Amino acid sequence: MPSPLYKAAAIVGAAEANQIGFLETPITSLQLHIEAIKNVCDQTGIPISRIDGVFSTGWSTELCEHLGIKPKYIDTTAVGGCSFEMHVHHALAAIYSGIIEVAVISHGENGHSQRKIGNGGAGNYARGGGTQSPSHEMSVAYGLAGAASGYAHAMVRHMHRYGTKREDYAHIAKVSRDWATLNPRAAMYSKKKHPFGGPITVQQVEESRLIAWPLTILHCCMVTDHGGAVLVCSPRVARSLRTKPVWIAGAGEAMGHGNMLEMEDFTATSARQSAEAAYTMAGMGPADMEMAMVYDSFTITAAITMEMLGLAKPGEGHLFWKDGRAAPGGSFPVNTNGGGLSFNHSGMYGMPLLIEAYRQLSGTAEDGVHGDPGKQTRARTCVVNGTGGSLSTTGTLVLIADD
Amino acid sequence: MSYNKPIPPKGTHTMPFWEGTKAGKLTLPRCVDCNRVHWYPRHICPHCHSMNLEWIEASGRGSIHTFAVQYMAYGGWAQEIPFVTAFIDLHEGDRMLTVLRGVDPKKPEEIRVGAQVQVEFEKADDDTFIPFWRPVDSQKAGS
Repeated sequence: MPSPLYKAAAIVGAAEANQIGFLETPITSLQLHIEAIKNVCDQTGIPISRIDGVFSTGWSTELCEHLGIKPKYIDTTAVGGCSFEMHVHHALAAIYSGIIEVAVISHGENGHSQRKIGNGGAGNYARGGGTQSPSHEMSVAYGLAGAASGYAHAMVRHMHRYGTKREDYAHIAKVSRDWATLNPRAAMYSKKKHPFGGPITVQQVEESRLIAWPLTILHCCMVTDHGGAVLVCSPRVARSLRTKPVWIAGAGEAMGHGNMLEMEDFTATSARQSAEAAYTMAGMGPADMEMAMVYDSFTITAAITMEMLGLAKPGEGHLFWKDGRAAPGGSFPVNTNGGGLSFNHSGMYGMPLLIEAYRQLSGTAEDGVHGDPGKQTRARTCVVNGTGGSLSTTGTLVLIADD
Repeated sequence: MSYNKPIPPKGTHTMPFWEGTKAGKLTLPRCVDCNRVHWYPRHICPHCHSMNLEWIEASGRGSIHTFAVQYMAYGGWAQEIPFVTAFIDLHEGDRMLTVLRGVDPKKPEEIRVGAQVQVEFEKADDDTFIPFWRPVDSQKAGS
């Protein structure tokens, strides 16, 4: 019996950049990519705008931003020369599953020219930051340093649009700390664990030192060490284990931009699209969610994300924390581990989100290290949203507890 | 004193821009087919995917879309903290990052989203004149 993926997709065109070989005039890897994509689309008659899945060895965000497209499937598998065959495999699965219809697999590598001009793009983990990508060229002069320097612009625009005040968002930091004080694994669990740990007040958040106005340091996540892993299995295996399964009811991904230069709306992220995809897949909606794990690189990130997930009206995301719904004992727990603000944040925070969502929905949120009636909630459904780059890329999952 | 902050590396397709700034002009890439301006400069029009692009001289006018005050920076910029970064809505369309001139970083509440700004250029080296923006007048228009 052939696999259900048998003939589930086909390669429909193939093209190269305008010039290849030992080019006299140096060319960037980015331009090689763009020309090849243009050419294969011209060849097949498929408009670039119809591409909904992008596969490359680390370049996908930059390529999509450069092309002005926002795909539903973003793959950057980079494991050497065989990556492109793997991309085909991944694209086949994505197409078979109905997530996408038109996948482009792209390659651009100026192996010769780079001896003269460098690589000309991001190459590896790409969010438009390569040494010669034009987005970098037109940003590097202006002194932005680190995530906070960019995210602060989103906070100012959000405050301008909705008339909110920085203090409104400070509640997010305060409540995250409340959760952390219930979680011995949290970096900010207590003063004993960290000199700055333990409960904090809104006033303390407001009065801590400025990093990028309006963000004070307590509006920003920490930078800690963190490692984590989850296992995903077939239903058959999942039911045979001694651990409780937590079911993936829905999943979606999206991107808005790579560089904040291309962020059309500074008060919104692509979580709106990735959440819609996840809810649709799950046949559920925001009203069916009983808790949320949302990326809180900064307080503003969490507030905007609640709005994008359909849990709050635009401009009202922060109210979950301000009115206590998101807090311990509240009606809609959010970031029950203490979040990136007070639990852990190593740079990329997506894994801690997954781990805590699993723990909550499997009833193991106390994790065997905590004696008090702590952070375990009664939630049976959880929406999980990760945000990457500069409010750029998002992935949303709808998870549900086992019956 | 010589310019001590990062100097942008020049791309393979952005020389018209840098030649423009050297001559005191702001030039922007525009698509000949769909007539739309985009920023940053592409190899392909991000709106209609034509590769038929040209450079036009822009008005050098725009308005503040959003801003922030930077208290952490590296290199030459570290000596200038706090300073105000901003995204500028260009009169011709799309948006540019900059550092605002002529504003008080200690009084961010006086900087208005929507205020009109004008471009100016600072020499970084013989080939690089970097665009910066400044409110058109002291009376900063609200949005």
